[in-house]
Amino acid sequence: MSRSLPALRRGRLADAASRLHKQAGVVLALVLLVLAATYASDRFLTVPNLLNVLRQVAIVGILAVGQTFAILTAGIDLSVGAVLGLSVVLFARLLEHHGLVVAIPLGLLSGAVAGLVNGIGIAYGGIPPFIMTLGMLSFARGLAFIYTGGTPIPILNEDFYDIGNGYVLGMPIPALMLIAALFACGVVLRLTPFGRCVYAIGSNEAAARLSGVAVRRYKVLVYVICGLLAALAGLVYASQLSVGTPIAGQGYELDAIAAVVVGGTSLFGGAGSVFGTFVGTLIIGVLANMLNLTGVDPFVQQLFKGALIVIAVFVMSRPSRG
Amino acid sequence: MMLKHVALLIPSLLAVTLSAALAQERLPITNKTCDELAAFYAKLPFTDVLPLEVGPVEVQGKVRPVTIGFSQTGFNHPWRIAMLEALQAEACRHPNVKIVVLDGNVDVAKQNNDVRDLLARGVDGVVMSPVESAGLVPAARAVMAQKLPLIVLDRDVPSDKTLFIGQSNVTMAEQVAERMAKDLGGTGNIVVITGLKGSSPAVDRDRGMADVLAKYPGIKVLVKGDGEWIREPAVRLMEDWLTANPKITAVFSHAEESSWGAQLAIARAGRCKEGIRHYTFDGSNAGFKSVKRGTFGADGNYTPYIGDIGLRAVIYTLTGKAIPGRANYDSPGSRLLLPDSPSVVPENADVWIGRGWGDFEPTLDPCR
Repeated sequence: MSRSLPALRRGRLADAASRLHKQAGVVLALVLLVLAATYASDRFLTVPNLLNVLRQVAIVGILAVGQTFAILTAGIDLSVGAVLGLSVVLFARLLEHHGLVVAIPLGLLSGAVAGLVNGIGIAYGGIPPFIMTLGMLSFARGLAFIYTGGTPIPILNEDFYDIGNGYVLGMPIPALMLIAALFACGVVLRLTPFGRCVYAIGSNEAAARLSGVAVRRYKVLVYVICGLLAALAGLVYASQLSVGTPIAGQGYELDAIAAVVVGGTSLFGGAGSVFGTFVGTLIIGVLANMLNLTGVDPFVQQLFKGALIVIAVFVMSRPSRG
Repeated sequence: MMLKHVALLIPSLLAVTLSAALAQERLPITNKTCDELAAFYAKLPFTDVLPLEVGPVEVQGKVRPVTIGFSQTGFNHPWRIAMLEALQAEACRHPNVKIVVLDGNVDVAKQNNDVRDLLARGVDGVVMSPVESAGLVPAARAVMAQKLPLIVLDRDVPSDKTLFIGQSNVTMAEQVAERMAKDLGGTGNIVVITGLKGSSPAVDRDRGMADVLAKYPGIKVLVKGDGEWIREPAVRLMEDWLTANPKITAVFSHAEESSWGAQLAIARAGRCKEGIRHYTFDGSNAGFKSVKRGTFGADGNYTPYIGDIGLRAVIYTLTGKAIPGRANYDSPGSRLLLPDSPSVVPENADVWIGRGWGDFEPTLDPCR
């Protein structure tokens, strides 16, 4: 171990340098966008607005953190929006008769269970992630509809409302939850053996398996994390909006994937970071905020969003090429 | 107790599958029994339009099983489920009438296929509530080609049909916008949260509003955004608009859900005191309660309870009864003239609570 330490150090340094290099592109894209937004609206660069942006991106941001895990293993999780929807109706229904202590853990558990099913299907069943999670997308959405009969369930619990709408230390709670998720997942990915195995699986699954990585077990864990975070996003959704609607989170999987990819994580796996995902989430969130502040027509907004995703990935890929 | 709700998931899945198999017990999608629907039927607003006695339906002098297909846009909104509920309630009153329900998943192609599947099953008539007007013309033609009754609900198709039954989103939006203009005294800054952009009710509600606002130059539309009929996008839009605009007098929203979302944003921005008023649509009981509580200034009373009329119209056609109130109009086929329900405003909210759709409560007004 001590013999290989200098080499390892150098490896890590070079690794860190290349990572910085790559992330510089993403951060540059965000900086450019912030400058544009500041120019477009004099209200953009104000504390309440920036806090709004943080709260607005919390739901998709948390989904995107989970999605980063799946994409890092060269997988994908298309079910996150639907799993969010399922957890949202569970939170709402459970809160009708029970307190937060019962509702929150059980709601979060539903996400983890959905993720577990995904993971087992993918790792042990050999079903491609795209297909497995596509199936789960439809299945979880169906459950949410059956469970509610298609009708939204109002949430009248005041404490629950405060989770989504309150502040701690001047920060909106959903934003703090996003930051906590980012921090925890960043640490897990960078500093634990599990984290390094996630990258290893994504870079070369066969090699990882041959070098003794418990690929299957780790893959299951990846999808459990993804599902759990989807339910956490559901907690933010339900508590912010005080309603358990079975259509919650429709299409969010694509927003989450966009945030991950804009943030520089490779769809082929093995490269990327949750920090990048955070910046990617902010890029998309700041754009939406800027367009709303300046009152851009909703038809045109979609155009901007599409163009931004492509341009951001283009800008980001430049430095790594040079 | 704790496990009950988790445990509920799996049985409810089974229950739905089983109930379909075990016939008449619980009806699909609404999950109601005919007994429950009988009580509900008594409260429906339009049972006196094309009235029909309880009992078996006689077609050409004999009682035989009658199967009627219902192709619904999708069941992604409780409004759509309420429409089906009304239709099922009517079907329950006639023992030899069976309904086949198909879910279009809000997809033009899927719904076209659904209608063809109904024809393949040999239904005696079709009730269709189209995803989109023009897109369902092929399906409508296929039904008419088989000389079966075709009743089109809510959104029209620009081709031949037996009867179109629907209220006008344009005139309903005019009512709501007139009320808003009156409440504002003809001046103010409003923001508009539309329904899903490009969908026909959103287009029509926007047009109705524009028609009225043309008469009130003092009312300025600051900005429009897409609320997608739901709450979450509306919160973000409203937050940003509140940041950008120091003075907003009213929110004109195409859906109650979006209005509740906008109200959340107002509360969060600490701007409850400005008394920003909401003008909205959907006609749910929860919406009417929000009118009574003063959160909404007016709620466009767009009822889904035309489903039962649709089924009766098919039965009328099959039994050769004349349809009173049938009129020609500027599209092929004929339409049923239905009175526009009045917008629900604070003065008439008490009368309407209980007569709207949905039995859920509004969420607490965060400004109170």
